[in-house]
Amino acid sequence: MTRLLYFLAIITIIGSSFISCKDDDDDTTATKGDATIFFDHKWGATLEDFTLNSKLNHPMLNQEMTFTTFKYYVSNIKLKSEDGGEWWTQPESYFLIDATSDAASTISLKDVPAGHYTEIEILYGVDSLRNVSGAQTGVLAPDLGMFWSWNSGYIMVKAEGTSPSSSTGSFAFHLGGFKGPNATLLKKTYVFNQHLEIDGVSTPKVTFVDNPARLWHGAQGLDIISNQMAPGELAKSMSGNFYNNITFKEITK
Amino acid sequence: MFHSYYSKWKYIKRTMLFVGVMMVLLLSSCQSDDNETVILELPSHFPAPVYDFSNNPITSEGFELGKKLFYDPILSKDSTISCRSCHAQVHGFADHNVAFSTGFGGRLGSRNSPPTVNLIWNTSFMWDGGVNHLEVMPIGPITDPNEMAETLTGIIAKLQNHRKYPSLFSNAFGSKEITSQKLLYAIAQFQGSIISANSRYDDMIQGKVLFTDDEAAGHNVFKENCAACHVPPLFTDFSFKSNGTVPKKMEEGRERITLDPLDYGKFKVPTLRNIELTYPYMHDGRYFTLVQVLDHYQDCHTNEMEVDPILSRGITLTALERKQLLTFLKTLTDAPLLRNNKFSEP
Repeated sequence: MTRLLYFLAIITIIGSSFISCKDDDDDTTATKGDATIFFDHKWGATLEDFTLNSKLNHPMLNQEMTFTTFKYYVSNIKLKSEDGGEWWTQPESYFLIDATSDAASTISLKDVPAGHYTEIEILYGVDSLRNVSGAQTGVLAPDLGMFWSWNSGYIMVKAEGTSPSSSTGSFAFHLGGFKGPNATLLKKTYVFNQHLEIDGVSTPKVTFVDNPARLWHGAQGLDIISNQMAPGELAKSMSGNFYNNITFKEITK
Repeated sequence: MFHSYYSKWKYIKRTMLFVGVMMVLLLSSCQSDDNETVILELPSHFPAPVYDFSNNPITSEGFELGKKLFYDPILSKDSTISCRSCHAQVHGFADHNVAFSTGFGGRLGSRNSPPTVNLIWNTSFMWDGGVNHLEVMPIGPITDPNEMAETLTGIIAKLQNHRKYPSLFSNAFGSKEITSQKLLYAIAQFQGSIISANSRYDDMIQGKVLFTDDEAAGHNVFKENCAACHVPPLFTDFSFKSNGTVPKKMEEGRERITLDPLDYGKFKVPTLRNIELTYPYMHDGRYFTLVQVLDHYQDCHTNEMEVDPILSRGITLTALERKQLLTFLKTLTDAPLLRNNKFSEP
């Protein structure tokens, strides 16, 4: 009898723990799938491959540049479904694109509801809320060299390197700012030329092309300005010129 | 008989032990850590704080870790400077009565170290308000080459290899892995708990004591001449104003953050809590006595910059009013806070 009572007590405790701790794991049929987004870095009008630590000539400025760092934030990715319903919004959608490698330039969309998608919305930069929300984690952690200590906010685009045109021999552009007229945030929507098909089987790859040379479309050469480390008009125009030129290329399986 | 009784008792004991262990396991499985949340007692005569502890609940382990970090020079590049170096409890958590603080390699800062009390009511941090959140505030002094000259990654590496810190972080946050967020959360738990609300002024406001005639008269002088910006009970309205202290060196003040030329030379209105102990005064510590400050406000007009309209006619006080005002300002000294062991070097 006692044995039975203890047994029941244990069963009850274990049982109740399943109820209280249970995560809601929805149906496990293939209703979700993954995709990747790749940002392919190209340089100048000829669209040669952009790589760090190699000499590049800026065609408009006719100045030689060797990048040691090229990073930028991408956030708040949304997908528009073919049926025209609500956009799918990726939760915790923050990515730091880093030109060190293709892998670091690829972001992953996990658990996208299965279906056909026709458009994508991307916010270039980190939304203003996360700029005012204290210590963050992951790619938003303040120890990645992408957060200003003296003027709280993210460095949305970071380009550093060396150049014989610069009087110091180097250049550093830390472009950011999330407030008012100098906010360096840009939301862009791209219409796909074919459907992005999420089926839970294949992982389609959406390729975009960016062009760091575009930072200087409108900006003065490195002989005049080789440093920008604060929000302001220049940060806005340089980042804007860069973002505006990022183009959708293709969807591949 | 005896034998069967004994074995039955042993069986019950074993079963109870098993049930007990199961319950502990189950309880611990349902929560990330089993720390007791410490409720921060907020003064009843203060407004609701700005900083929200709901993302970073104070626990005694987190608070103690934050305190240890606050007092540990490991946060600086060469382990010579701790937060305490420039924010000493005996000085109301301001520096030791110097205009500029000494940092890494003997380098001097460029602004006077502010008292770090009542931070959870601050809408911004630093003299120019450049920092927008309590949690990221310490990154400024930690990384400034004239202050601690360290990096967050450098600190994380040192703490991770430290004999004690990994287990202290584990106790506070449930894992030995140290991240910048946990580091900053812990410091925020400690710094955010430092509340100055037990001065003689606070006792008077709460009806616990009566002001002397001089203090009461000084209180009236204060209300008429100072309280528009130094708004009680925090004794600041957190706005940025130019009070005619023309910057002596390359120093744009608030303009550096807003890029608005109209903000040139503006600095945050500082709290007056513990003002008796936090000298020297102003953004650059140019005045060592409150008498000098009152002299300044008598006529703060200058041709070199715009002065806030509220000060356009200066603050002219009689000798008696000055004496009374100074007496009142001393009622803002929070003696219980200055000697509270809870915040002292461990």
